[in-house]
Amino acid sequence: MRTIVCTLVAMAALLAGYPQAAHGQVRAKAAVTCVSAGQVLEYDCTIRLANARSGEPLSGLTVSVGADMPSMPGMHNVRPVKATEQAEKGVYQVRLELEMHGDWAVQIDLRGAVRDRVIATLRFEEKEVTDVKPSSSRRGH
Amino acid sequence: MIDIIQNTIDGVMIGSSYGLLALGFTVIFGVMRRLNLSYGPTVMIGAYFGTVLYLDFGAGLLAVAAAVVTGAVISGIYVERLCFAPMKAGAGIASMVSSFAIWMQLEQAAVLVLPRHTYPFPPLATGAALEIGSLLVRPDHVIMLVSALLLAAIVQLGFYHTRFGLGLRAVIANPIAANLIGVDVKRSVMLAFAAASAIGGVAGFLVLAVDQQVTPMFGMWATLKGLIAMMIGGLGSIPGALLGGLVLGVVEVHSHWLFGPQVRDLFAYFVLFAFLVARPGGLLGGAADVELSHRT
Amino acid sequence: MDDYLVSVLSNIGVISFVALSAYLLLLTGEISFGQQAFFAIGAYAAGVATAMWGWPLALGIAWGAAAGAACAVSLGIPTLRLRGLQFAIATLAFAEMVRILFELLRYQIEIDGEPVGPNGSDGFRSIRYIFDHNIETFDFMMLIYAMLAVTLGGFMLLERSRLGVIFRMIGEDATLASLQGIAVARYKVLAAGIAGALAAVGGGLYAHLTTYVEPRAFDVMLGVHSLAYGLIGGLGTALGPLLGVVIDVGLLESVRLFAGYRMIIFGGLVALLLIVRPRGLLDERLVHRIGRLFRNTISGTTRTGRGPR
Repeated sequence: MRTIVCTLVAMAALLAGYPQAAHGQVRAKAAVTCVSAGQVLEYDCTIRLANARSGEPLSGLTVSVGADMPSMPGMHNVRPVKATEQAEKGVYQVRLELEMHGDWAVQIDLRGAVRDRVIATLRFEEKEVTDVKPSSSRRGH
Repeated sequence: MIDIIQNTIDGVMIGSSYGLLALGFTVIFGVMRRLNLSYGPTVMIGAYFGTVLYLDFGAGLLAVAAAVVTGAVISGIYVERLCFAPMKAGAGIASMVSSFAIWMQLEQAAVLVLPRHTYPFPPLATGAALEIGSLLVRPDHVIMLVSALLLAAIVQLGFYHTRFGLGLRAVIANPIAANLIGVDVKRSVMLAFAAASAIGGVAGFLVLAVDQQVTPMFGMWATLKGLIAMMIGGLGSIPGALLGGLVLGVVEVHSHWLFGPQVRDLFAYFVLFAFLVARPGGLLGGAADVELSHRT
Repeated sequence: MDDYLVSVLSNIGVISFVALSAYLLLLTGEISFGQQAFFAIGAYAAGVATAMWGWPLALGIAWGAAAGAACAVSLGIPTLRLRGLQFAIATLAFAEMVRILFELLRYQIEIDGEPVGPNGSDGFRSIRYIFDHNIETFDFMMLIYAMLAVTLGGFMLLERSRLGVIFRMIGEDATLASLQGIAVARYKVLAAGIAGALAAVGGGLYAHLTTYVEPRAFDVMLGVHSLAYGLIGGLGTALGPLLGVVIDVGLLESVRLFAGYRMIIFGGLVALLLIVRPRGLLDERLVHRIGRLFRNTISGTTRTGRGPR
């Protein structure tokens, strides 16, 4: 029993502490706008991806978009869907189906030449979608 | 100086509704010694009943109030039947977790019926605020306070001056003995639950009519406020529930004025915590403990 | 392995830590609605360590665990004389205070020309350790499960050890336990500290998994959920809370067919389950029976104990 525990601890430490080469990673930034797609709780989102430092649009990436409700992590999350790149460089389109109206953290996962994750918090209402401003009065109801 | 008085008045007004919510909690808790996490959501279901009536049928204020109370009572009995009645003695935590599961259920049901984030609710009283000297008092706040006091008085009367109340007090003191002398314990508990839900329904109606809007967050909000007020005032005490509500209301309004909404909530919780650590019985309550320990 | 499956399994792993945290306190007889506070503390502390101070992951999470344990002890001591509902509400009040404090916390430094750090309600973004160090999501999941396995091993050892017996004794009847000479207060604080550290480890892993935390994620719902997992899965063994998490997150995912009705069905199922099994699926009786069956099979005795066949 003890050997098992020790081996597991060693494994964990190895995985955790092993210095991986820290590349000069490219960081992405995203501008997300969504509009209602006709059906209730369906939205079409346009995502503009750019290099966070140079501003250059990032194209040719595999982009998958998921969503999770910030107030209940893991409880309402939306299965990630692949976004399709549009004609304009760095612009991707995706349709999201949500479970409820309210605030959602949209998770944009990038793979390919750039590996990153960007999160945009938006408020999805019946007719429109807005950016969430921080520290609004949370009076509960 | 005027601000302090104004804020205290406002605090008392808002606090009266907290007190009512706490009252409902206290009744259930006193009789069953278990925590009902679905209390707020049942009130919210009632509120949604009322809202549907208001929006789709243009019903008047009293009809909406009746709908809110009815809805609260129906869902309250549903919770009682599913989460509390079937549990044997000693399954206090199971009841609590079960009521939590039903909380989630009710919340989702409400969102399905009315999916938007906020809905209008009929106002309690329109009209300008009354001016007494340089103090402003909103008429709807006054109605809320008066209604709350009236309801609390009715509950107190019912509890101490009716046969049913006597039976309930017997059940609270010792359920086995009460059973032996002929009190139908199960029925009393169910009726107490219904009464508590009705009280909650009235409280919810008053709060929403003052706020003039309903949101799906109302369920959790009502549960939290009622719980905090009950703990401050003292478990199982009717005047304590009201007093706790008033204290909470006053603390909230003052801290909101001084520090803003977030610190207001921080303060409310801090006051609660301080009370619990220093004086677990609350202001007026006894050392009544809960059937929540997992072995009893 | 499909990315989505990896993320669901990682979620299960991370949430299991909070569930185990609440479970440990339940063993000592206390209901806590506040373990999410230590989850939050662990998340923020570890995030600050790796994203702002440039520490390696293991150190960051260890620091988060220490912070969680310290805060848990500072909560455990003043609440020592509280029992039952008062204790539960006190932990809830504490957790909400912590959450609101995080809503007010602003601590940012500039890295590469961008502000990084907790920013009040806006949360703490860009906890990019696994991206900056090219750690695959699958590998991170394995890390989570490796740590979970270690934790479970710890619990198994605990169940057989004197400490575990002491905890359960305190849970059964604290007065009786103290009459037996057990320093109840000390052990309760110990349990609180360990539970705090557990939840904080989960938080640290969570922060790096999602790269983004905000105070809203650490509200009462998480606290009550973590308690519920133990109740659903069973209080007889540390596998119980784990089972609870798997059922909740797993069922929630599979019942996705009933998209808008998930909670209605799930809530109803849980309520019905609790009527039939008020101490969860793997409750103490069942675990005891399984243990006995196991031992009988191994030793070859019949159930009447008449010796090898």
